Amino acid sequence: MKVFEDTGLTIRDDLKTAHTRAWEGISRAGTWLTGERRVAVSAEVRNALTCDYCRAQKEALSPNAVAGKHTGLGDLSPAEVEAVHRITSDPGRLSEDWYQSIISQGLSPEEYIELAGQVAITMMADTFTFGIGAADHPLPAPQGGEPSRYRPPGAKKDAAWVPITEPDDAVEEDGDLYRSNKVAYIQRALSGVPDTKRDYWQIAEAHYLPNGAVRDFEIDLRAISRPQIEVIAARVSALHQCLY
Amino acid sequence: MLRESSTAGEMDVDITEVTQDAGVSNDNDIAAAGLLSDFAEAVVRRDADETARLRTRVISELGEAAFVDAAATAAAFHGFVRVADSTGIPHSNAAGGQDSLALQHEVGIDQFYAASLGDRG
Repeated sequence: MKVFEDTGLTIRDDLKTAHTRAWEGISRAGTWLTGERRVAVSAEVRNALTCDYCRAQKEALSPNAVAGKHTGLGDLSPAEVEAVHRITSDPGRLSEDWYQSIISQGLSPEEYIELAGQVAITMMADTFTFGIGAADHPLPAPQGGEPSRYRPPGAKKDAAWVPITEPDDAVEEDGDLYRSNKVAYIQRALSGVPDTKRDYWQIAEAHYLPNGAVRDFEIDLRAISRPQIEVIAARVSALHQCLY
Repeated sequence: MLRESSTAGEMDVDITEVTQDAGVSNDNDIAAAGLLSDFAEAVVRRDADETARLRTRVISELGEAAFVDAAATAAAFHGFVRVADSTGIPHSNAAGGQDSLALQHEVGIDQFYAASLGDRG
């Protein structure tokens, strides 16, 4: 991957592979969004980082106290732009009322899950390149194809704002969703759209830790110690005001 | 996870520092904690100059492979926070149910905006 090579740093092979897969995946039609919409989401994530309205909301005591409009690129609906910008710029101050306002504008819960997953994947990929001093990876050209529109039969809205497929409700048609029935909510969060969950975790595990290693504090998989990893994790989460 | 990992390593760490303006200091048993905390903060703030300055320091003090993993971890949590906060998953049982209300109060995360919204579920 050229953006990595240009830094002169040696990047782990699994990280390079995860980034390559992530961008290739973004370019393809997903479960509910076309390749065009998925690439447009990534472009809007980058655009949100310089949006004046996002900045004003972020600086305000309450995000609802500021009137204005996001500077969108024009390829997504107003509800999609609002969702992408808020998840990108001020995720710690989202609420269920806000989520419902997005859904009430016509975005289905499944489209929202896929969009949120694309935002998270893009932010992770772009933050890594930013951190190592690389240029943003060029946005991929959208591939054709139609979304599969697969809805897991066991998904239901109960524990979270969005529908979740609980481990006991997963069926064979969902594909590989869980490695065990005892999983944290962060691993269930995107399970209303199984392919999005898999897309997200393939890059997340390469950056953090494989799921099976997260609660094993003796295992040593990275070049920094587990407490060092958690210092970074805790500081990033706190600065985002993330309770989770 | 910070508390659990440091406890497992029998390290003395003041986890309340993660929410304080100055970030995590070096007054604990985790090597280069202050430097890694500062690097994480520069990345969150998208401060290119500060990130570049700290990148050089992390590589110098911990090595290139360690720096790559530090950058990867910072990036990972730019994804995790967005997945957690955009889907409204309940936070009361985060970290395997270890993040008790008492701990949230001790660390100060009960002052976060989302804490006023209940368990988000």
